[in-house]
Amino acid sequence: MPKIVAILRHEFRLAAANKAYVVLTILGPFLILAITILPGLLSMSPAASSGGAPVAVAVEAASGSGPGASALSALASAAEKLGRKLVKVEAGAEALAAAKAGVSQGGYAALILLPSSWEDSGATVFTKTGTEAVLYGAVEAALGEAAREIRARRSGVDPALARELSRGVALSVVKLGKDAAEEESGDQEFMTTLFTVMSFVMLLYMTTLLYGQLIGRSVVQEKTSKTVEIMLSSVSARELMFGKILGLGLAGLLQYGVWAGIAVLLSTFAAPALGLSAPAAVSPANLGWLVLFFVLAFFLYASGYAAIGAAAEDEHDLGQLAWPLLVFLIVPLVMISSFVMNPDSSLSVALSLFPMTSPIVMLVRILVSPPPAWQVALSLGVLLASIYAMASGAARIFRVGILMTGKRRKLKEILRWARAR
Amino acid sequence: MLKLERVVKTYETVRAVDGLSFEARPGEIFGLIGPNGAGKSTTIRMIMNVISPDSGSIRFDGEAFSEAMKRRIGYLPEERGLHKKSKVEEILVYLASLKGVDRATARVQASAWLERFDLADWKGRKVEELSKGMAQKVQFIGSVIHDPDLVLFDEPFSGLDPLSQDLFLKTVLELKGRGKTVIFSTHVMEHAERLCDRLLLVRKGKELVSGSVSAIKERHGKKAVQIEFDGDASFVESLPFVESVRSFPRWIEVSLRGAAGPDELLSAVAGRLSVRRFEVMAPSLHSIFVSLVGGGEGAVAEGTGSEDGADGGPAEEAQAAREASRA
Repeated sequence: MPKIVAILRHEFRLAAANKAYVVLTILGPFLILAITILPGLLSMSPAASSGGAPVAVAVEAASGSGPGASALSALASAAEKLGRKLVKVEAGAEALAAAKAGVSQGGYAALILLPSSWEDSGATVFTKTGTEAVLYGAVEAALGEAAREIRARRSGVDPALARELSRGVALSVVKLGKDAAEEESGDQEFMTTLFTVMSFVMLLYMTTLLYGQLIGRSVVQEKTSKTVEIMLSSVSARELMFGKILGLGLAGLLQYGVWAGIAVLLSTFAAPALGLSAPAAVSPANLGWLVLFFVLAFFLYASGYAAIGAAAEDEHDLGQLAWPLLVFLIVPLVMISSFVMNPDSSLSVALSLFPMTSPIVMLVRILVSPPPAWQVALSLGVLLASIYAMASGAARIFRVGILMTGKRRKLKEILRWARAR
Repeated sequence: MLKLERVVKTYETVRAVDGLSFEARPGEIFGLIGPNGAGKSTTIRMIMNVISPDSGSIRFDGEAFSEAMKRRIGYLPEERGLHKKSKVEEILVYLASLKGVDRATARVQASAWLERFDLADWKGRKVEELSKGMAQKVQFIGSVIHDPDLVLFDEPFSGLDPLSQDLFLKTVLELKGRGKTVIFSTHVMEHAERLCDRLLLVRKGKELVSGSVSAIKERHGKKAVQIEFDGDASFVESLPFVESVRSFPRWIEVSLRGAAGPDELLSAVAGRLSVRRFEVMAPSLHSIFVSLVGGGEGAVAEGTGSEDGADGGPAEEAQAAREASRA
């Protein structure tokens, strides 16, 4: 067995036999479940997030018919859509107090109070949480409808005519894919795409950071535990560094393989079986991009962390020296919404070609709207070249740094080692 | 097997190794002896290519150091450590596989060695659970598990109890018996005396003396004679070839001057004392070490071979700190 394979095997086992690794690999699918099935479930129908206690309504100065009655019928149909019953209560002070108590104890989902001229002065909704947006929206829509009808009648306009005049225009959003092919879409699509993009980016960011730091720590520990001299009596510094990177990389890739496999299974089998459609962005092709960019980002950042780990005095020192790497990881994350909304802006294009940020930014662009093929190819080419440059520089720093102890070094000094032969 | 010629290493202003030359032959145990800070570890680290010499040459069977050679060399560094979270057997198999031993063979070897060092029950335990001495045994095994032709032990006995020290000594002698070359450093003279075929005594990076142990004793050992007697021996001190006399209740110990032999002393005392015992004392390496290095060296270890003598005195710690800041 070649030495580097022996190191790779050892490091892979150290990483994969770790409790945190197993937990993350197992919990990962739940995250994937969240990005594949949940958006569909949530947007399926409002009823999915409603049902339960009835809604109470109190009408002050009630007159048998008129404003109160039309509001009541509008509210009743709105409540029905939410899967709730509408219960009428008296508007007397005592009855109102009882109804409010019912709300705070959960007997009623809400109490709607309609004053005598509610169509002008407005109505009030009492709820326990104050955050039931779906309910408020439904109530507001129903009351608005009723109020418009009342006002139309008051002005002597035929309510049917008023409805016709105030009708809005439907706007449908159609996403054009490759070759201007129409893709099924809607305003919901933007949300689910954004959601998927965010999930992918977070996954990429967190795993790159996690595995990068794992490498850095593993190298520092080799140094602080004094095993490095024994290791170097058997293998070269280069073999040690690349063995570590490949071993941990394999662990990361295995984890991604498990996740991507589950995501494909869920979106192609489980989601249709439940009568849901997984977000269009969660496709095998996009998952493939995710894995590819993880591998590339991993090698780039792992080389950087390995070099810094070798130069660092201890784990604390490692954290301080690693900040430039961290900045490049965080910047695209902070600017993510700009990339999603303007995937073809010059800033997006520039950062999707710059190697330190390109894995995340190019992934976003590919997910949102496919960039020109030459840009993708250029981005990948630059990334591969940078990985080569970073790895060979890192190997030199590693060789010098790994045996140095007893002194904290400045980043500038460390970078000088990379130029040493 | 291994030949060093005029090797020099300077750390900033300190010349740690100053023109050392020696040769270790196949099947020989070679000792690098000297007080703390003499440059022993630096020399061994240069042999292992951990640091490179400023000048001079280090050759293995006439060749310069190469990666391929690492398979034939075993190394126990002075600063020892093992991956804490790994299991004992696992780490040994790993270390062996890094030397190109296949895993099945490595496992068999690991079991045999662990059995031998009384660690068989610890095979599946993690390194962090081991005592310091046990961890050192595991590392010792790690340095010989691939059956190397050349082994370098840097202070192999420090931190071991007397029983383990004996086990190490026995194992080292066995390696020699199988034709391996062993180089080890120590400041404990008793170990050097028991093990070395030849040695190099270093001080401040320079060679003080080198050669076979018997030749060194011959050349540098002060001849001392113990005489047990009845009568008045006060005249002995005034004999021209006597350097000094130490008196004990029932005998005296006489140190002889220059070229004088015990025979002259024997004939001088014959008839004037009634001699019950006349014994020529073999000089110990320890006394040679002390006389050559000079009693003024605070860090000279007593040749007791006990744990406290060998390990972790304040002087040694200060040295370690100095070493670290230099590197």
